[in-house]
Amino acid sequence: MSAEILFSPALILIVGAAVLGVLPQRLRSPFFVLVPMLALAALWIYSDADKLSLVFGTIFAMIASIGGIYAYHIRDTLQQISAMVYAGGAMGVVLAQDYYTLFVFWELMAISSTYLIWANRTTESQEAGMRYLAVHIFGGSLLFAGILMLVSETGSTLITSLPDAYSLSSVLILLGVALNTAIPPLNAWLPDAYPKATITGAVFMSAFTTKSAVFVLMRIFPGWDILIWFGVAMALYGVVYAVLANDIRQILAYHIISQVGYMVAGIGIGTEMALNGTAAHAFSHILYKSLLFMGAGTVLYATGKSKLTELGGIASKMKMAVFLYMIGAFSISGFPLFNGFISKSMIVSAAGESHLEIAMLLLILASVGTFLHTGLKLPYFTWFGESKSDITVGPVPTNMLVAMGFGAFFCTLFGVHPDLLYRFLPFEVTYKPYTVYHLVEMIQILVFTFIGFWILRKKLEGEAKIALDTDWFYRRSAPFVRVVFVKAVAGFFDGSERVVKQLTERTIGVVNGDGSRLEPDMYRILAGVLIVFVVLGFLMVFS
Amino acid sequence: MKTWHWLALGILTLISLILEFTLLSGYDSHWWNKIPGFYIIWGFISCILIIYISKWIGYAILFRDEQYYER
Repeated sequence: MSAEILFSPALILIVGAAVLGVLPQRLRSPFFVLVPMLALAALWIYSDADKLSLVFGTIFAMIASIGGIYAYHIRDTLQQISAMVYAGGAMGVVLAQDYYTLFVFWELMAISSTYLIWANRTTESQEAGMRYLAVHIFGGSLLFAGILMLVSETGSTLITSLPDAYSLSSVLILLGVALNTAIPPLNAWLPDAYPKATITGAVFMSAFTTKSAVFVLMRIFPGWDILIWFGVAMALYGVVYAVLANDIRQILAYHIISQVGYMVAGIGIGTEMALNGTAAHAFSHILYKSLLFMGAGTVLYATGKSKLTELGGIASKMKMAVFLYMIGAFSISGFPLFNGFISKSMIVSAAGESHLEIAMLLLILASVGTFLHTGLKLPYFTWFGESKSDITVGPVPTNMLVAMGFGAFFCTLFGVHPDLLYRFLPFEVTYKPYTVYHLVEMIQILVFTFIGFWILRKKLEGEAKIALDTDWFYRRSAPFVRVVFVKAVAGFFDGSERVVKQLTERTIGVVNGDGSRLEPDMYRILAGVLIVFVVLGFLMVFS
Repeated sequence: MKTWHWLALGILTLISLILEFTLLSGYDSHWWNKIPGFYIIWGFISCILIIYISKWIGYAILFRDEQYYER
């Protein structure tokens, strides 16, 4: 037991974050890459985690290390510490055995990740970070209220799967977890905050928050029917908004929602194959999505721009980044030989096996959208197409490209050798991704999505607009809330104080008969002594 | 897009169709397996639907200018 605590991967990351702060600056970046590797070793050697925790813990450690390489040039210690605590929080969530531990790590993630937005140090990021924090504290409160109720009902704090029946406690927990999973309408924090995070921070954010929530959903709510349809709706929701988005990191953020939709649907289907597919897809998704965010980050780093309306025609100046990004794009789009193909198709097939044919067709439709945006629209209008403004392309640090290289390597490795991943999935895998049927299906879909894009590509050009999401409700109502709950209350107390003061002054004037003014300090000591006597009297009588 | 790009896409489609009509001719796990080249149709229609419906929703309800929240 003591070895388990001592070598707890979450603890290694969190203690590592504290140690990082006191190291000399030149050691901090290598240390950041090393610590997640230690956590990974501890996870495999010392922890008694089950297969599901092992899959998630492994990918979290891997991506923390790759993210550390991507952020190797960063000299912002607080950002490095936050990112590592964030990784520790995510690791703690997937290893937690009881609800209270889960909640502590859950909140730790929310707080540490907020700094990755604030570290951008723009007014926009300050405000977005505050919204992000407020929303997550709200979600955390729902989760905690649900946990307290559940524990008082069952008398057990251990995390177990709940039966598909709605009670207040299970609904509160579901809502709290759904918020971190970004299930609409609780999704708006994600596309609001991620595009405003730092270049390196967004890479970590794309990996941890939603996927740790997917893990918790898998643990507590497998086979809840409602999740099938919320998952499918989510997959389509992200696609629609990705058409409308102009900022490249926002397009990717909406496609996190879309991809997590597959996982949520898989959890709702709840069969062994669907849950395997969900775990596999979370694993694959973290690899390719962080690679895509890294690619978008190189554009922002090199040009200072992130909007499609301001980019274009710079592919020849950043060939390596384009090449590595495209491996991520092929992966997310489900091209054979890349890792999206071996995991996404598992969930879609599981929907088919459970005779959810409408869900299956809609998920295929969403995957068309994925290729359309991440694989075609974003790279075409960012790097190819015509240049829309005067762009200077600066150099990108080598470490950023090296990290992308690692991401691309793993996307391809697991695509070519799916068994490397399949053998660690929670249930035994009988699924074969490389069948003639799947290959024919993907070739036909991808080729004709491309043709559709090429014909209608003018329509997909970025527009200098924003598309309203559900954050409208709390952003537009903020001034109103401020008037009712802050200004009105403060005004009432100010007014009352003024009235009381004036009344007192007049009374004193009348009593003294000379119109003399109130001296507030005159009776202070006397009144203090009097109050002390009264309190003592009460104590003596009632003790 | 150069001619050989289109040629490559054409050849890929052709191979997929040949496989569909030979190796997969008896495959029948969903109702749409009876429709020849179903995924060609579904992929293309999906692509068109996504673009038009999303843009329509955007213009009808969601689009605002970039300074919307700053005002």
